[in-house]
Amino acid sequence: MTRKMVLADTSKCTGCKACTVACKEWNQLPAEKTQLVRSYQSMRTFTPDTWTFVSFDENYSGSQMHWLMRKAQCFHCADPACLKACTSKAISKTGSGYVVIDADLCIGCGYCAENCPFGVPKVDDQKKKAFKCTGCIDRVENNLKPMCVQTCQTGALEFGERDELMAKAKKRLAEVKGKYPKALLYGEKEMGGMTHSYILLDSPEAYGLPSNPAAPLALTLWKDIIRPVGTVAVGGAAAAVVFGILGNALRGNYGPPESGKGGKE
Amino acid sequence: MAVERLKVEGQVAEGKVLRFTGGERFSHWLHVVSFFMLLFTGLGVFTAGFHPLMSLVGGLQIARLIHRVVAVIFVLGAGAMFFIGDSRYHRDWLRSAFSFSEADKKHIKAFTAEFFGGHAAYPPQDKYNGGEKINSLLTICGSAVITVSGLVMWFAPNFPAGLVDWAYPLHDLAMFVMTAAVIGHIYLSLIHPGSRASISGMLTGYVPEDFAKAHHAVWYEQAAENKSVAK
Repeated sequence: MTRKMVLADTSKCTGCKACTVACKEWNQLPAEKTQLVRSYQSMRTFTPDTWTFVSFDENYSGSQMHWLMRKAQCFHCADPACLKACTSKAISKTGSGYVVIDADLCIGCGYCAENCPFGVPKVDDQKKKAFKCTGCIDRVENNLKPMCVQTCQTGALEFGERDELMAKAKKRLAEVKGKYPKALLYGEKEMGGMTHSYILLDSPEAYGLPSNPAAPLALTLWKDIIRPVGTVAVGGAAAAVVFGILGNALRGNYGPPESGKGGKE
Repeated sequence: MAVERLKVEGQVAEGKVLRFTGGERFSHWLHVVSFFMLLFTGLGVFTAGFHPLMSLVGGLQIARLIHRVVAVIFVLGAGAMFFIGDSRYHRDWLRSAFSFSEADKKHIKAFTAEFFGGHAAYPPQDKYNGGEKINSLLTICGSAVITVSGLVMWFAPNFPAGLVDWAYPLHDLAMFVMTAAVIGHIYLSLIHPGSRASISGMLTGYVPEDFAKAHHAVWYEQAAENKSVAK
């Protein structure tokens, strides 16, 4: 399947949260008790049962306020840190551009949750599994739009082929910049290119997002250096023992047993 | 045995020398058993290839639970031995691991040749030779790093994410270092013809007198002197 994309044009978002309800419905996720944690935002962050929510940031210029609203969910990175962190081969990438967790393989260790630069995956302590947005891969692979896109009334969410939609996003960005000069495209190159990309009206920081998201340095050190070098070191120690036994045998050190033979002076 | 408790380290009797007291041996074997249980159960989370093996302990989630329970024993059990009973030998060992004499350095230089069955000259050694001190240091530092990183991983939500990220590579690093060291340690204590006589020191507490003379002459002389003073 060709690489897909969801474009969230935040200039068109009204913060109605229908997308978050649709997500719960399609994925059969139970409702959770919510409260307003900031402005009109009802979820502080993701949970094992809440894979998407709308973030609200109040932006003031003089006496004028406008909301920076963003539908948050897994970005589905082309170069996902969670996949690299997973030790159970439970996370994989699809050709269509989605990053999915295989619940049968997941052991709930939480390494993905700790290493995602956006804190997306969440571990269910009872089920011992990590959960996050699936991108509605089940719908996408059956030629349906993701549920959030299907529901969006204002056209803020759009689904399509990545190449086409990215070109469209750039055109739309030029228009949006007229009213919001700081507007930018987020997700074209970040983390290798994200399936869920955004037209943001302000800097990523204004939305609580990192400008240059990257896998943690510790993760790179861990998986690309310590693990391969450590494996070689343990193998090397075992090999040294084999050569040690051979060396002793060839030198006749295992010769006729003599009680208390010290082997050296 | 009650009688054995009264004996002091270094006591010379019937061609044998007491090398490790009951407390030292208890610490050692507690460390051994808990280390290997932690290594085995840890492999379940280390990589998917070890998942099927975890059925030996009742499944992966049970293995993760065992890992935590044994971790507490590993840390508190071994740690307590530095304070309870006749703990001065533990403290002496700790001190000696951080002080390398000229004789130790020469032993380390000779170590490679000895390891592979050759011979190289080195001066008389104290209770712990240069090679043993290296092994001790790897064990001490490895245990400290694996304990601290393990605590951060266990209680991850209470620590900043930037710190938790570093706990994973450090936990693995300490595991690799200690696993490589233990492979060499087992070889030297059970298989190496020159040094395997030392295993009796960790089993019965005593090593053959001529082994003590050949491998730890400085310590042996002192032990013999203590004996003559005591008599």
